[in-house]
Amino acid sequence: QSYQEPHRLGCGKDKDGCTLWTRICPYSEFEKVPLFMKKAPSEIDPNENPDLACLQSIIFDEERSPEEQAKTYKDEGNDYFKEKDYKKAVISYTEGLKKKCTDPDLNAVLYTNRAAAQYYLGNFRSALNDVTAARKLKPCHLKAIVRGALCHLELKNFAEAVNWCDEGLQIDAREKKLLEMRAKADKLKRTEQRDIRKAKLKEKKEQNRNEALLQAIKARNIRLVSEAAGQDEDSDSEGPGELFLDGLSSENPYGARLTVDEQGRLSWPVLFLYPEHAQSDFIAAFHEDSRLIDHLMVMFGETPSWDLERKYCPDNLEVYFEDEDGTELYQVAPKSTLLQVLQHPRYFVKALTPAFLVCVGSSTFCRNYLQGRKVHQVK
Amino acid sequence: MGEAKTGTGASADGLVPAGSPMPEAGLETEVAKLLPFLEPGARADLQAKAVRHVLARRCCGAGRPGGRAPAPARDAAHALVNLAAEPGLHEPLLEAEPALLARLLGRALDPEWPWAEEAAAVLANLSREPAPCAALMAALATEEPGESGLERLVRALCTPDYNARAPLHYLGPVLSNLSQRPAARTFLLDPERCVVQRLLPLTQFADSSVRRGGVVGTLRNCCFEHRHHEWLLGPQVDILPFLLLPLAGPEDFSEEEMERLPVDLQYLPPDKQREPDADIRKMLIEAIMLLTATAPGRQQVRNQGAYLILRELHSWEPEPDVQVTCEKLIQVLIGDEPEPGMENLLEVQVPEDVERQLQQLDQQEQHTREQPEELAPEPQAEGATPT
Repeated sequence: QSYQEPHRLGCGKDKDGCTLWTRICPYSEFEKVPLFMKKAPSEIDPNENPDLACLQSIIFDEERSPEEQAKTYKDEGNDYFKEKDYKKAVISYTEGLKKKCTDPDLNAVLYTNRAAAQYYLGNFRSALNDVTAARKLKPCHLKAIVRGALCHLELKNFAEAVNWCDEGLQIDAREKKLLEMRAKADKLKRTEQRDIRKAKLKEKKEQNRNEALLQAIKARNIRLVSEAAGQDEDSDSEGPGELFLDGLSSENPYGARLTVDEQGRLSWPVLFLYPEHAQSDFIAAFHEDSRLIDHLMVMFGETPSWDLERKYCPDNLEVYFEDEDGTELYQVAPKSTLLQVLQHPRYFVKALTPAFLVCVGSSTFCRNYLQGRKVHQVK
Repeated sequence: MGEAKTGTGASADGLVPAGSPMPEAGLETEVAKLLPFLEPGARADLQAKAVRHVLARRCCGAGRPGGRAPAPARDAAHALVNLAAEPGLHEPLLEAEPALLARLLGRALDPEWPWAEEAAAVLANLSREPAPCAALMAALATEEPGESGLERLVRALCTPDYNARAPLHYLGPVLSNLSQRPAARTFLLDPERCVVQRLLPLTQFADSSVRRGGVVGTLRNCCFEHRHHEWLLGPQVDILPFLLLPLAGPEDFSEEEMERLPVDLQYLPPDKQREPDADIRKMLIEAIMLLTATAPGRQQVRNQGAYLILRELHSWEPEPDVQVTCEKLIQVLIGDEPEPGMENLLEVQVPEDVERQLQQLDQQEQHTREQPEELAPEPQAEGATPT
């Protein structure tokens, strides 16, 4: 063992420093020297490593002044920081601050360094708290200001980042990091403002679009029912219709919504239900001027898989809709257009998705289904 | 294009008084007595003495809570502003009172001085002339180390509440006048500092056309430095969007067109107003025109969608001379690239004989303009009867 007495190690700020050591001990010996071990002080077992434990007790001796102790913790924290062990660095710096030494410079450095460690841990708000504390102690501490600006950048507080940069530049007008950051933060701020404007405009356009749709529905005297409220909105009532505006914006579960074309004609998402087999068909965009039969011809051009009896042919099909309470049925002529049916005084569009019931006219099911229910014929 | 233009001056009417007056007997009468000496017709040396006294008076209101400025003292300040507006008086004034500029500067940049705005206005008027402007530059350079006078001036202009009692809008024209001097421009355009960048948002300063005009004038003068164009148009400064924004209206561009514009000009709200002052609009266009002097500059200005904004401006512009300026810039943007050797229009050497010809033409034009009206014959309608 060719290293010197422990206490010389503790304050080994020889002007030759490390060079002295290489001359005395070969590199492998280096590792054995307590101060150069890469283990954390807390992990040291006094039985295994009595020298290091002894060193520890000297370095962290409570009899030393708070300033000295705080400085040691600072150095320890810095070592951890260099190793990128930011969590342990935070702990060391915290211990240093706990000493409450009276040196504001040292405390400012402890806060700033802890802030840096917190920054790399992604704890930007904690880091900000620390640099703010550092600045209270030393208003001109540039490193704290740089770190604060970086935090604000990460937190997307671009305006604040610019302010901090400006404050820093008042202290050192040529600080390169601050100049760069300021330009970056300013550009990000302006881009963010653009994004807000863009979103606002989009929202306004959407709102206008929805209002136009609502107007179109009202103009056609079509009655809507809101699923949520369970109340009906009469098309000529003074009601706000905001519920429906919301419904217009969001897509229904099938991913389709009411649209208007260039000629001002509407296309609805429409559900066809087949109660006999508990099946359904969904038409994403049913043009209001197209006839029910046109769609049925397409849908039943081929026999659906669930139609075991192969009886669902366009000619056999009868189309019904239920009234609002679901008690009475109305049979519609398949040759009607969607608009004609929707305009029926007893038709209520639920959830902005018109629905129809379809079954085979002459079938047993149909007869049973209709039995006991009031059925109206729509001309 | 000519040289960097002089800034606008100040008239006392344009100034808002610091507060409602609260009289205090002795001092009031003293200052009131000085008023006649501040009239333009008075003797220059007496004027100078009166000025010195007015400036030496520590604001009576400063010590008292609320800090109200007494009326006569305020009137004296206003009289000073008007005095300074007379160019013929600058020399005698400065001769009689050589420390005038330094003192005014001190007052203007004093965060506690309630008449700082007036002091700035006087400086704005005085610095319109080259000699006082040079003297002001010298005065700024002799400030204590740490923060140069010019730095402090820019800071006072850019910090919203630098002086709680005076808005300091007239520092704008002061800076504009100073920016005629190369040394000022060197400071403003220092790439290692952040100076010109802090002025840019002030082009949108709604509360004062004086401040706005001063800042735009400053930027325009800075654009004469074509060596700095690349830096000015680049990301470190990004000057172009700030020059275009006041010229842009609430245009609804297509998505494709929008994406070509700088972010600051995209999706502007429907209530976006253009710069209301025609002179400022003209200066903005002139500044952009200066940036197109070099080929790379022209390319940058084109790439950043300036044409779209100017096209819309042209169809809106009510002032004919601003419209003409706008047209000229549009021509440069959409025109062909000039021949080699002509890339920097600011540096083009006009051949001697052409120079002479142009001068002759200029003189002839001048001559015809100065002729009395009678030479232009009245149109004689034959046999026409007035309706």
